[in-house]
Amino acid sequence: MTITLKNIRKAFKTNTVLEDVSLSVATGETLVLFGPSGAGKTVLLRLIAGVIEPDAGEIHVNGQNMAGVEPEDRGIGMAFQNFALFPHMDAFANIAAPLTARHQSKAVMKDTVEKVARLLKIDHVLHHKPKELSNGQKQRTALARALSAAPSILLLDDPLRNVDAKLRFEMRLELPRLLKDQNATVIYVTQDYKEAMALGHRIAVMNDHGIQQIGTPQDIYLSPANTDIARLFGDPVITLLDVVPERRAGQVVALISDTAIPLLEDYAPQIGQACILGLRPEALRFVSEDTPGAIPVEVEAETPLNEKTVTLALTLRGREIMVSRPAGTPGPTSGRAHIAVDAASAILFDRASGRRIAPVHKIIRKEEVA
Amino acid sequence: METTSPVERLLRGIAITLVCLFFMFPIVWIVLMSFQTNETILRVPPSVIFAPTLENYTALITGKLETQAGTLDIDFMGNLWNSLFLSTASVAIGLILGVPAAYAFARLKFRGSEDIAFTLLSFRFAPPLLVLLPLTIYFQQLGLANTYGGLIWVYQLIVLPLILWIVRGYFEDIPADIEYAYRIAGHDFWSTFRRIALPLAGPGIAAAGLLSFIFAWNNFVFALVLASADKQPVTVGALAFVTASGIQYGQVAAGIVLSIAPTFALALYAQRYLVEGLSLGAVKG
Amino acid sequence: MTTAATDQPRRRRFRVSRRVLPYLLSLPALLTCIGILIPFLTAVIYSLQRYRLSQPWARKFNWGENYLNFFTDPAFWNTLKVSVTYAFLTVTVELLLGLGIALLLQKRNRTNNFISIMLLMPLMTAPALAALMWKLMTNPGFGILSYFATLLGIQDFNWASDPQTAMLTVVIVDVWVYTPFIMILLLAGLRSLPPQPFEAAALDGVPRWFVFWRITLPMLTPFLLTATLFRVIESIQQFDIIYAMTQGGPGDTLTVFQVEAYLNFFQSTNVGRSAALLMILWAITYVLSNIFIKNWLRLREKQRGNA
Repeated sequence: MTITLKNIRKAFKTNTVLEDVSLSVATGETLVLFGPSGAGKTVLLRLIAGVIEPDAGEIHVNGQNMAGVEPEDRGIGMAFQNFALFPHMDAFANIAAPLTARHQSKAVMKDTVEKVARLLKIDHVLHHKPKELSNGQKQRTALARALSAAPSILLLDDPLRNVDAKLRFEMRLELPRLLKDQNATVIYVTQDYKEAMALGHRIAVMNDHGIQQIGTPQDIYLSPANTDIARLFGDPVITLLDVVPERRAGQVVALISDTAIPLLEDYAPQIGQACILGLRPEALRFVSEDTPGAIPVEVEAETPLNEKTVTLALTLRGREIMVSRPAGTPGPTSGRAHIAVDAASAILFDRASGRRIAPVHKIIRKEEVA
Repeated sequence: METTSPVERLLRGIAITLVCLFFMFPIVWIVLMSFQTNETILRVPPSVIFAPTLENYTALITGKLETQAGTLDIDFMGNLWNSLFLSTASVAIGLILGVPAAYAFARLKFRGSEDIAFTLLSFRFAPPLLVLLPLTIYFQQLGLANTYGGLIWVYQLIVLPLILWIVRGYFEDIPADIEYAYRIAGHDFWSTFRRIALPLAGPGIAAAGLLSFIFAWNNFVFALVLASADKQPVTVGALAFVTASGIQYGQVAAGIVLSIAPTFALALYAQRYLVEGLSLGAVKG
Repeated sequence: MTTAATDQPRRRRFRVSRRVLPYLLSLPALLTCIGILIPFLTAVIYSLQRYRLSQPWARKFNWGENYLNFFTDPAFWNTLKVSVTYAFLTVTVELLLGLGIALLLQKRNRTNNFISIMLLMPLMTAPALAALMWKLMTNPGFGILSYFATLLGIQDFNWASDPQTAMLTVVIVDVWVYTPFIMILLLAGLRSLPPQPFEAAALDGVPRWFVFWRITLPMLTPFLLTATLFRVIESIQQFDIIYAMTQGGPGDTLTVFQVEAYLNFFQSTNVGRSAALLMILWAITYVLSNIFIKNWLRLREKQRGNA
């Protein structure tokens, strides 16, 4: 089941929500729509589900134009952010709703509902009304309802948004397997970058009425299209420093605290231009003073973060830099220290537009080939 | 407000008592009258001590009124039946017409929907005779004069706006996602309307039905203008009843009691929704 | 794995396009009401005609004559005066009384809730029957109120049959029926007000009259306005109570718009004048109801927002 969107435009009254959005999702793929609230992610899902219609553009499912196809005929399973359970039906009837529409026998229906309920661990509350369910059970019921008819397209609208942290953590581990078993084409909406990284084969980053970047989680993390996306992905957040690349001793460098940081030769065209240097915490490491290109810093604070230890350091000019290292490895906790930059991992952005400057040899990127 | 002085509490008590007296006394007095014979009613000074009698009610139910001039046939039960039938049928038709329209106005915003909804609302405020007087002439021509059908149609003038605006509010309160979820689950528009929208707006539909029943029952002018004796509801019938000569006042009182009892019962039952109904859906109680 | 796009076409049912659907749903209601708009247009035409049921042969358009005649017609000015007086008196009394009662019953407790439900009973009484009840109570022969009047030393107090007191009597009946309407709306309003300003005022020891004038009343204004306009619109059209009580009498003491129009139509069979009277009444209520609907909408939005 492929999904293809072509030049979708949607506005509510004078408020444009989506502008010229194109997108395609392959069979069995999980695509994550990631972006801040108001970016149009939910609207995009609703357009695909067919409950609202685009002002312009086409939606194709498996090559078939969906214009004028009613939502009930699209064979889609959808879970809503607010669950949207039917308050007057018990969990069983909720989960069975997609099956009743398909006129299956009572016995088959019962089997199917119980199977999917067991899978989601809600088989003990099937005869409870939604208001008697805990938030987590509601969320699982909503998910079960989306899955029960084994749809080949699943639209999941931030299903973990309204559940507590523990459940979200569990579900983040469970969902990839669940989605894989479904063998469905999935579009998953979230505002949580970790969820996006954990679940998506590809991630589409949405903002300002459209898709800003689309690519694998790794692509997005390592080559963010602009500084906004660089900031949204990654915890601790990327360090962004204003620089003007120059050539010193035959090398392209950026100056940080009067120390020349070597950059890739591919950034040669940017010499003399106002840029932003993006440094992922992993691209930095503490080194001894005599290492070439070592930047002197003042260590401010240190925080353990799961499997990493994050250090906040200040350059001599007072600019903040985040450095991470695997937890348990030695590092300075205070005072003067030195850091070095892994030249290959440094990302350069144009300061005026915030867009990433593609290194010359990498100009042809993967998704552009595909 | 916690610091009420005894004097203030006393004053409040007196005020509330006076208010209750003013508003309750007429009803109590008429109920008392309905259990009295003309002799005890005409006593001077009046007294609340009397031997209660049911003969006013039995006379009304049998339709035989004993007067000084002899036995008079008055079909008060017929009036009651007319009230019941007209109100029930009007509400039923009002619901059939009004609920889908309310849904359309609430959910499927379409071109001109607001204008139409307001036009319907404004009917509630136009002078009824403006429509009724020309209608008498039309009804003659259409053969609708003095028919239940004609009356029920005109009753929509009060029933429809009420149903439309109350039920619309209830439909608007249903999250659209719930209906979307049912559609996406594979159910078409009509079954979504039937299985999701209708049950969830159920309380509102019931309230609108009950309230419009009360308003239809209490209506006077429609039937006064358009119905003759055999189709008249109690509001018009009771008036004719008084003007009949040599009437027994206890029987008039009993007639009034029988006519207002159903609306009182419904009002008690539907009290939770009264505020909403009286304000045409603007204020929730 | 069932799929929609490649599925066998599911049971083909009659499908209504999304554009037609809303009209289909609301059409029956609309048609019913259009049937009611036709008589309205007819009334406009009648009002421009010389039209008496007793002289159908003399029926012809006289254009604005019915309206022009009103300027020199004392009966019309009487109608206008009586209607406005009636509306003014009833609404003023009901507003003050309704506000007072609502304030008395403001606190939510069993007694107050019980009383407020009991007080709704007059409103649930058909106005025509209410008039009848009061007619029985003010009967000069055995009416309890007439008896009370004599106890107070007023002999021969004739209530609705005396031109001096007829207006007073019908106003009392109207007040009896409709005060609970204002009371219940204002009570709902009072109880929906946010408690914070009142708590703050109580903490600061602000005098209660000041709280009432500066906090309660301003916050209650949308409710007061809606209730008042609602009542004015209905009161200026009052028919049931007056007709059931006195049929506009004695003489022309109580010939308000609708009663006068009714009598014109059925007694003097002057259809033209009757229609012209109703058109003027309609114009008045149209203006009022436009103001009302604006207010009502704002209140509705606000209340829905709170809910």
